[in-house]
Amino acid sequence: MTDNKNSKYSKNYKLSISNPKLFDAIKMTIAILIALAITFVILCLISKDPVNAIKTILFGPLSKKRYIGAVIESFISFAFAGLAAGVLFKAGGFNLGAEGIFIITGAVVAWIAASPITTSPILHPVLCYLGAMLVGGILMILPSFLKAKFGTNEMVVSLMSNSIYAAITAYIVRNWISTAQRGSVSSKDYLPTARIGYLYEPLRISACFILLIVVTIVLYLVMNKTKLGYQMRIAGTNPKFAEYSGVSAFRLSITTAVIAGVLCGMGSTTQLLTQTSYYTPAQSLVGIGFSGMLLSMLGKNNPIGIVIAAFFIKYLEQGAAVLYFVDGAVPSEIVSIVEGIVIMLISSQYFLRRLRERQLLKEGLEEHAE
Amino acid sequence: MQNSIFSTLFSMRFLITAIRLATPIVFAAIGTFIAASSGIGNIAIESIMTFAALAGVLGSYLSGSAWVGVLTGIAIGIVTVMLIAFFSMKMGANAMLIMIALNTFADSVAIFVMFLMTGEKGTTASLTTPILSTLDIPIIKDIPILGEIVSGQYVLTYICWLIVILLFIFIYKTPTGMRMRACGLNADAARTAGINVERLQVLSLILSGIFAALGGVYLSLNYLKIFSRGMVSGQGWMGVAANGIAAGNYWLLILAALIFAVFRAVSISFSSNSAFPTDLVNAIPYFAVFVILTVVSIVNYYRVKRGKVEEH
Amino acid sequence: MSETILKLDNVTKVYPNGTVANRDINMEFEKGEIHSIVGENGAGKSTLMKVIFGIERPSSGSVTYKGEETNFSSSMDAIKAGIGMVHQHFMLIPSFSIVDNIILGDEPTSGIFIDKKEAARRCQELSDKYNFELDVNAKVSTLSVAKRQKVEILKTLYRNAELIILDEPTSVLTPQETDKLFDQLRSFKEQGHTILFISHKLEEVKKISDKISVIRNGVSKGTYLNEDLSMQQLTNLIIGRDLDSDMNAYKTHEDFHNEKALVIKDLYMERNGKPVLDHMSFAVKNGEILGIAGVEGNGQQELVRCITGLEETAYTGDIEICGNRVNELNIKGRRDLGMAYIPEDRMGDGIAGSLPISDNLISTYYDRDDINNKVFMNSKAIKETAENLVKTFAVKTKTIDAAVNSLSGGNIQKVVVAREYNTNSKFMIAEQPTHGIDIGSEEFVHHKLIEMRNAGAGILLVSANLNEVMSLSDRIIVMFDGQIAGYFPNAKDVSESELGMYMLGAKHQTPQEIGGALND
Repeated sequence: MTDNKNSKYSKNYKLSISNPKLFDAIKMTIAILIALAITFVILCLISKDPVNAIKTILFGPLSKKRYIGAVIESFISFAFAGLAAGVLFKAGGFNLGAEGIFIITGAVVAWIAASPITTSPILHPVLCYLGAMLVGGILMILPSFLKAKFGTNEMVVSLMSNSIYAAITAYIVRNWISTAQRGSVSSKDYLPTARIGYLYEPLRISACFILLIVVTIVLYLVMNKTKLGYQMRIAGTNPKFAEYSGVSAFRLSITTAVIAGVLCGMGSTTQLLTQTSYYTPAQSLVGIGFSGMLLSMLGKNNPIGIVIAAFFIKYLEQGAAVLYFVDGAVPSEIVSIVEGIVIMLISSQYFLRRLRERQLLKEGLEEHAE
Repeated sequence: MQNSIFSTLFSMRFLITAIRLATPIVFAAIGTFIAASSGIGNIAIESIMTFAALAGVLGSYLSGSAWVGVLTGIAIGIVTVMLIAFFSMKMGANAMLIMIALNTFADSVAIFVMFLMTGEKGTTASLTTPILSTLDIPIIKDIPILGEIVSGQYVLTYICWLIVILLFIFIYKTPTGMRMRACGLNADAARTAGINVERLQVLSLILSGIFAALGGVYLSLNYLKIFSRGMVSGQGWMGVAANGIAAGNYWLLILAALIFAVFRAVSISFSSNSAFPTDLVNAIPYFAVFVILTVVSIVNYYRVKRGKVEEH
Repeated sequence: MSETILKLDNVTKVYPNGTVANRDINMEFEKGEIHSIVGENGAGKSTLMKVIFGIERPSSGSVTYKGEETNFSSSMDAIKAGIGMVHQHFMLIPSFSIVDNIILGDEPTSGIFIDKKEAARRCQELSDKYNFELDVNAKVSTLSVAKRQKVEILKTLYRNAELIILDEPTSVLTPQETDKLFDQLRSFKEQGHTILFISHKLEEVKKISDKISVIRNGVSKGTYLNEDLSMQQLTNLIIGRDLDSDMNAYKTHEDFHNEKALVIKDLYMERNGKPVLDHMSFAVKNGEILGIAGVEGNGQQELVRCITGLEETAYTGDIEICGNRVNELNIKGRRDLGMAYIPEDRMGDGIAGSLPISDNLISTYYDRDDINNKVFMNSKAIKETAENLVKTFAVKTKTIDAAVNSLSGGNIQKVVVAREYNTNSKFMIAEQPTHGIDIGSEEFVHHKLIEMRNAGAGILLVSANLNEVMSLSDRIIVMFDGQIAGYFPNAKDVSESELGMYMLGAKHQTPQEIGGALND
């Protein structure tokens, strides 16, 4: 076949560190081990029984079915946030607006979920999704538009838009869809038809889980096999090159912003309809958008990597929660420290570089000898 | 109602509030500016302020001296920027991502530490912490109006304005300052002139960390007198935004920071007024930053279009 | 007896990616001589200079300066020891004044402050001493290229450099400016300075040098007295084989019916109130290469940006590509009409460094039908296209999956040219197409441009390299100060010094003569 004919230029990598993918995997594993080691040191300082503590964090979630169920249920919306950030980062954008989109689309979901617009338990959540996705897709455009058109600092603008959207959400919920039942500002209870049930209750697997898998696969294909993905890749690597090549930076950033906004809408709907029965703007969705950015860094902007990272982090958080239950001295925020160390290490190009260079040098010399 | 807006905006109290609120934003702005002048975009100001604010309270609590608290805050600020410098310069990481990650973690890490120290996740109110005081300036304090504004401010506010002046002299009048600017304008040129670019960049980052840290400890040891989660609430980013607007012009930077402070003062003055929706009033400063930044970039866009650009 | 100032013993430099830039180089430099180091682009001259100047450390071997082995950890140490370097790309800060640029890194102070008065006094004194005719308080951004180079030289003199390295100093100068520079270098020599002159232009080297050292492929080919060496011997030492210098031999002359690939009418653009493109009109016909000569910074970059659609500043006039007015189109629209573009800044605009070669070979036609299926891109077709291009353009790589920035400069440029070649365009802009690449790749690129021309494409060649413009072009335009200063309908009939007069602005043709650029 043609493969043989051209084999001169498509050499297969040997299974060595010079294979970039394998090298990345090794790097990731070592980074995780280092992070866990540092966590252990911290645990030694603050916990009376550090060995048991680290064991609980690592294996606690496996001890009960409902623990692992909680992980499965809660990681989905985080994964959506991660995918949203991944799409933006991959194309070289620094739009940090996911947080605000999560919060404001929450109001859309709460409003639709509390309205008796349909009696169908399938159509009702679908409408919630569509509403949130539509609003999310539109609102996410603003910072990217300003950046692409006028060169506005999209990072600052998107962070400001987060605060502005949060304020608008609080205003909307307080004045239009609040209830007097509860003390804090929150929406009316959703109608039962809007809530999403389980497909497999013991592990809390719902249709959202399937939605996430489908979306992840689609995104993976889009990012790796389509023209849009190609545009994202070159714009994310060198925006001047993309411009030179005729990729419209404007259209690309608007497109990715819309996709990211839609993903945020999916995330917020999932979170609200599976985890809450009413919407509290100051609480229900806070922090998810920001966590998404970290997941995207952990997963190196690869959709599959991001979803795995989301599971991994939620798993550790569950472990930390179990630990907090047995040993009140260790706050669950310890997971952030693991996460932080891993991110810093894997984003370091020079981490383990010597190892790889030595191998490359060896191969280079061998070749020279030929 | 119009009358009440008017009287609020032109009252003495409003002016004093604005000056108080300006301090952390000015600190954040000069922190961003000094790093930017050597070519480093320090967007981690927000997280440094958070860390330093907490460290300030803890240092003050543990030592029994507010000034030790200030030094602790500064030390943490320096540690944070050194972390950024290490990963971006020595480990080849993308500095932008590292700083975004830091900002995102800042609250969790602060809560983690706060919980270990106090057993609470909300504020450090349970710790009895020595704090910094206000300063009455003799003679000036007795002058009507001027005395009210200039005297009786927080100690760190005076330090802030002193630094603003000293920093100007440093950047524009001393050899080190000129070399720093050279690094930012053309690092290769600086390098071939025998300047150790990396060292100056680290120095500028350290200064940046110190200024941001002072902004943080101002919040926790002077202004609010406790650390509470989310207390920095975008003030670091306002400094970053001010730097973006200033485009290398020092006094424009200070002006932008002051304008943001005025909008914060407006927001605070009106939030107690039931005639306005509190939720929206809270967002006034963010909205102001958003609008100003956008307008400035649109103006620049049309300047370039009309062929008005400077060669840097 | 003359005294040795600098000595290289077995200097070897291997870069971390495995490139051997210098191998066992031995050279000796005597005080008060003008000593040239010649070699083709990529032979290792620049690396050797970096080693001498402390920017790079030798992997093995030693550098001895004034009898002491140097151990420079940065250029700072070299400067302190009395070595100065004028870089090929100027190391100046445009928004600083001349004084600030000169004193940077070694500022006179009073107390903790910079002593601006003393600084200005010293700089002016220095400038006057060497007849540089500079107003040292002027901003560098207002200076011409030749004046900027003077500032660079002043920088080294200000630091009392005894040994001055000039890296390809004439590449940005007109022949007349080059003569002036040489006079100056001779006067430095008389005052006891040692000059290390790096160049690949042999005539200049023959004109100025006392001694000549040759580097080929990272290896020293010996040091010779200028008078002992003929031009032919020197050429042989440098390349080890004969070169095609006359590209005209490869040109065919078919008739393309005077069709125009590019028409520019009355193009005008201003910046800060000053015209940078001043009513330019010209055309590129199918099947010809139109060369644009000129000193850098006379509007060539702006012209190219206007034609490609990358310019952000508004301009007036008409641009037609292959018969269509394109003023309102972005670069994509213009590419779709048949424009290809080899950019000057190959690393900045021409590639996405960390992406594979294959991705870089399709970027300007990634949406073309032959490499796409209905929904997905056709990875098999992409692979085939990339492999064919790598083969045809002799890109040295093991695999098309390698990151493009792991290649050498010459091979990266081949990737860029291969991609633009493969767009099958009728109009090509080649902006400094061989800048800084090795002679083999240069020759290859030149042949490909001729091949495209012979097949009927119109090529606009913008180059600061006069030899390149003269040997490739059919017609030549000289740009000066945003205008067409001269138009030469027959490239073969014009001499280098004639072009130089126009490049300097010393001569300017009448509108009638220039009108031929559009109407011929």
